[in-house]
Amino acid sequence: MTAPTDLSIFLLTLRVAALATLVILPLGVGAAWFLARRGGPWRTLLETLLSLPLVLPPTAVGLLLLELLRRNGALGRLLDRAGIEVLFTWKAVVLATAVMSFPLLVRPARTAFEEIDPRLLAMGRSLGGRPFAVFRRVALPLSWRGLAAGTLLAFSRALGEFGATIMIAGNIPGRTQTMALAIFQRTHIGQDAAALRLVGITVVVAFAVVGASEVLGRRHARRSAA
Amino acid sequence: MRRILAVLLLAAATAGSLDAGGPKPELLVFGAASLTESLQDLGAAYIAKTGQTVTFSFGASSDLARQILAGAPADVFFSADTAKMDALEAAGLVKAADRREFLSNALVVMVPTDSKAKIAAPNDLLALPKIALADPAAVPVGIYAKKWLTGLGLWERIEPRIVPTLDVRSSLSAVDAGGVAAAIVYRTDAAIARAAKVAYTVKDGPPILYSVAPLTSSRHSTDAAALVAFLAGPAGRAEFEKRGFLVVAPR
Repeated sequence: MTAPTDLSIFLLTLRVAALATLVILPLGVGAAWFLARRGGPWRTLLETLLSLPLVLPPTAVGLLLLELLRRNGALGRLLDRAGIEVLFTWKAVVLATAVMSFPLLVRPARTAFEEIDPRLLAMGRSLGGRPFAVFRRVALPLSWRGLAAGTLLAFSRALGEFGATIMIAGNIPGRTQTMALAIFQRTHIGQDAAALRLVGITVVVAFAVVGASEVLGRRHARRSAA
Repeated sequence: MRRILAVLLLAAATAGSLDAGGPKPELLVFGAASLTESLQDLGAAYIAKTGQTVTFSFGASSDLARQILAGAPADVFFSADTAKMDALEAAGLVKAADRREFLSNALVVMVPTDSKAKIAAPNDLLALPKIALADPAAVPVGIYAKKWLTGLGLWERIEPRIVPTLDVRSSLSAVDAGGVAAAIVYRTDAAIARAAKVAYTVKDGPPILYSVAPLTSSRHSTDAAALVAFLAGPAGRAEFEKRGFLVVAPR
């Protein structure tokens, strides 16, 4: 079998990054909402736990996931019994990138929620809105820009994640090899030109993602000025 | 936000195709880095012959064995030594009777093409500042080289000069790029070097023996066994010999 093409590596990367972002979106928004509303020691603990992937070396996060999921690991045994293969499949790439991107979604989302005037939320409740209705009809529309920024940030991180991915998904061409891994692989077997082609693609993607967030920011500025 | 979601959904919707499909299951072979070209050629021949798709993941045998032990969904493992296969056998992932050990190789010292270094004897390695070698703590080629140099009483003095790499092919690209004064690799790797030459061929090194076996954890064990039989059969042997491997008496 021939080596995967640049395009197929790019598409695989795009798919797993999009999946990872979609998976963490409801969880991350929920966590951000909780952190923005609640105080106390639990908040600090939860906040620290959720931020760990941001601070720990990615390989450390990868190793923790590996220990959890390995054949005789706590979760691995359950998955094995259910006949679900995760490690060293594309699902592991999604998992690794999701965990690593999670704090990048939560932080801007939490800030966005915190910036909402609490009187607006109180007003929503006084008008008879249930908590979820207030969240959906008041909080979300007021904070969507922060959520969008967090989503884009998380997606960008997911596109380029390397350390945790290589620990739990390996570097299997056509199956778990994303752009970051392929660049690494090609460089270390001396195919620098082929690796540089992939770098070129990542630069184009970066322009697109950063461009999109710039457009969001500019619209925000225009609206604030008006 | 809606537009972002739409794009993400669109990209993710195609993810169903991430699972390998097709009439015949796709076999995943974990192979030692030194086998890259031979196995790719044999994989292509096998697809042409049987219609069965074979995918490869190449790397240090130590790394691949570790991944298999952790639960990687490989069907066949082709290790550059027998120790990694022993570890899998001990873990119940390989049956002793399924192992095929018929392939050998030799170690060589390579230097950049424009290097003036002369290596007439192993002692001459002591004159080189940096020598790339796949991690001698785990990777087969590193372990073979360490054994060889330890036997000569040179290892302790050479060890500080060793630049440990991920696998034999990273050592080769390090010397190809001129980043090190020399690299210890297999003779078969020398054939694909672009800017490096063989300066010394090891004659008194430890015996090198590859090992291939289908994995008991494979979901396609019959297909995996058939592929191993093909690799160890006449077609496999001819390909490996063509690439400069030594085919030894079958076990």
